[in-house]
Amino acid sequence: MSRERDESRRVPGWAPRVAGNLLQEVDPLPRVLLDGVTKVYRDPMTLRPAVAVEGLSLELRPAEIFGLLGPNGAGKTSTIKMILGLTRPTRGTIRLQGRDPRDPRSRARLGYLPENPSFYDHLVADEVLGLMADLFGIDPQLGRRRAEELLRRLGLAGHTKKALRKFSKGMTQRLGLCQALLNEPKVLILDEPMSGLDPIGRAEVKRILREERARGTTVLMSSHVLAEIETLCDRVAIMDRGRVLRMGAVESLLQSEALEWEIVTDAISPTRAALLGSRGHRVEGGGTRWLIRVSDAAAVQEVLRDLTQEGVTIRAVEPRRESLEEFFMRALASDGGPG
Amino acid sequence: MRRVLAIARNTLREVARERVALVLAIFGLGIVVASQALSPLALGEGRKVVVDFGLAGSTLVSILLAIVLGSSLLHKEIERKTVYAILAKPVRREEFLAGKFLGLWAATAALLLGMTAILLAVVALSYGAAPWGVLGAVSLSLLELGIVTAIVVLFSAFTTPVLTAFFALAAAAAGHFAEDLLYFVGRGAPGVAKAATEGVYWILPHLELYNARALAVHNLPIGGERMAFALCYGLLYIGAVLALAGTIFRHREFR
Repeated sequence: MSRERDESRRVPGWAPRVAGNLLQEVDPLPRVLLDGVTKVYRDPMTLRPAVAVEGLSLELRPAEIFGLLGPNGAGKTSTIKMILGLTRPTRGTIRLQGRDPRDPRSRARLGYLPENPSFYDHLVADEVLGLMADLFGIDPQLGRRRAEELLRRLGLAGHTKKALRKFSKGMTQRLGLCQALLNEPKVLILDEPMSGLDPIGRAEVKRILREERARGTTVLMSSHVLAEIETLCDRVAIMDRGRVLRMGAVESLLQSEALEWEIVTDAISPTRAALLGSRGHRVEGGGTRWLIRVSDAAAVQEVLRDLTQEGVTIRAVEPRRESLEEFFMRALASDGGPG
Repeated sequence: MRRVLAIARNTLREVARERVALVLAIFGLGIVVASQALSPLALGEGRKVVVDFGLAGSTLVSILLAIVLGSSLLHKEIERKTVYAILAKPVRREEFLAGKFLGLWAATAALLLGMTAILLAVVALSYGAAPWGVLGAVSLSLLELGIVTAIVVLFSAFTTPVLTAFFALAAAAAGHFAEDLLYFVGRGAPGVAKAATEGVYWILPHLELYNARALAVHNLPIGGERMAFALCYGLLYIGAVLALAGTIFRHREFR
């Protein structure tokens, strides 16, 4: 899997990190803190307990994007609901901007995008954002200005008077993001933010999230799209059956050593292809483009030398490192999950 | 308060854009037809019949509408998950409920006032003078509507739409017979049953207090003392019911 270039991390380079460090000095409390949080639901009929989240501890800092990964039923949405105060932890403590999440003041600078968001069908986009601005206590004029700006940024400027029942899934998702950003949040919680978006929409959302991080916002997102998480998140937690299996910076979690080397060449002879195969290398392709996968780094030089001596043109030699998807599957497999 | 009003405005808009206008139009038409049909049969009392019929009908339609719309209003928010985006804002759950209550009350009150305006117009056109005396009875009906709406919000805070509608309808009907319970208390039933009956008497809303249709039909005034008592009792009852609803809703888990 090719890793997409993360412009906000690489172009300004130092800027978000410095901003984050400065913010941490000014704002020493973690934006979101979970300490030994457990959530047990009881079946209303049988009263049998079902553990949704078990012993989760987490600290989210300013200017970072944190990804929650996991299969369905891993406990991602349950975690998010507890942070929002929609449910209470059975055990443990949660602090949102230093306060109990059930205290409305803790949500004053919180933006939230639910999974598959749904808004009032009888309203138009303008009215939804007007309602949300009122709930945030934003001055009406300022609210209108921000709403206009956000609708433009998210490509909804031409749909402000359209009834929401006529919105596509992608448009509703964009509107959901608009209302989450309306109060210039310090903490942004997004449940499956890429769901329903086309590639252009996903790229746009990623750009916005990177801008938010550069502004110092703490972003917590859950997603099934691992490629998005890998290119976007600073840290991730992999959850399964309510427990965190792994947590840390994306780079440190993934194996830094190359898993294998990929050699791209022009045409090679069938004999050479067979010989490479017999030595344990995987040979794919045909015609004028071949891909040779060499798992042993020491053998790369030998393969290259043989190919060169035979007059084969080498187009590229690249190490392939572990992707987040492979790491995710490995983590689940080691926990007895799929894999 | 701004948050409560924002939620109330949104609820009012939701109700108004969906069903109320249609019901209002149908009822207005019904009154016109009824007034024309009943007046020759009423032996010169056609005006009284139309006023009585109109007042009773408009109050009943408004209360039924409050129960029907109110019982699903909260449930719909939870089912469609629109409530998640609202409660993730700096909004207290009690504020959310208060907004829902005010919006629903305003919507059904607007319907009642609209039907009253049609009634006044029809009577004025058919009999030469508008029965302005109905306004006192209508103002009491507005308070009754508030009490029933609060009861609907209370049940919708913790149970299903069907059960909400059932309980609210039962409370609204039983509320008109609350005074009759005193008769059983006075008849000296056994101790526990007597205490239970007395408890129910105090819990049920005393809705007959808000029925002044007979006075309105005969153009008799409603005393200031009754109006003041009805207002105080109504507001206190609404406040107590909403406080209980808020406490229940505050502890509700959104799985």
